[in-house]
Amino acid sequence: MKVDDLPGELILWILIASELAVFMAGVSVMVVLGLMDPEGFAQAQAQLDGRAAALNTVVLVTSGLFAARAERAAFAGQAAKARRGLLLAALGGVIFLIVKGVEYARDIQAGIGIESHPFFTFYYLLSGFHAAHVVAGVVVLLLVACRAQPEPVQAGAMFWHMVDLVWVLILPAIWLIW
Amino acid sequence: MDPLTRTWALLIALTAATTALAGVSGPLAVILVLLLAFLKARLILGRFLHLEAPPGWLAAFTLPVGFWLCLIGAGYVLTLR
Repeated sequence: MKVDDLPGELILWILIASELAVFMAGVSVMVVLGLMDPEGFAQAQAQLDGRAAALNTVVLVTSGLFAARAERAAFAGQAAKARRGLLLAALGGVIFLIVKGVEYARDIQAGIGIESHPFFTFYYLLSGFHAAHVVAGVVVLLLVACRAQPEPVQAGAMFWHMVDLVWVLILPAIWLIW
Repeated sequence: MDPLTRTWALLIALTAATTALAGVSGPLAVILVLLLAFLKARLILGRFLHLEAPPGWLAAFTLPVGFWLCLIGAGYVLTLR
């Protein structure tokens, strides 16, 4: 196992590992609190609309496919195809944020605030922090789409897959296990 | 089928399975949901992030994630007792 074998820039792997650690720590604290109050967490979770989370998973995973295809096209010297893939991936990110916004608006209208229950504190913190990464990811994808050179496209795609990866790992604690 | 499309199809299938389990309660459903999360994470790391190719690196990322998901599952099951 050699560091040189890792695909892409080492700094991106350090970023991915760090982000995973941060989100895993946040979810761990949420789960520990939930284990002390499983009924309260179950009642709080029941107020969320899981359909939006399921839809957003499909959107993000599909967006990840476009990013992966863009990376492959960039290394094959197909800049136009890579650019198209990156723009579609970014569009997926925008759709994700719209769905998330609709979900937050529905929650707030239902009287669910960040201080309503510890479950909702972590719900807003984790999903909001993740949404901030989606915003950053969309910007990164659009930036690397300008020139669509292989290494920058790979870096953008890696960041985007990290956003995808974090999402599938925070999903159970927020929407599913209580 | 193109390998990237196959990975996407697998991720969608795992997402569909997760959604189907969303309405089910109980420790078995929770363990299955966590297992599905692990499989999705492994696919993203291995195929989209290309960790299947360099020896050892996929395990270096998936083992801590798997251990962490096991801890969450164990904590949940122990709380029920």
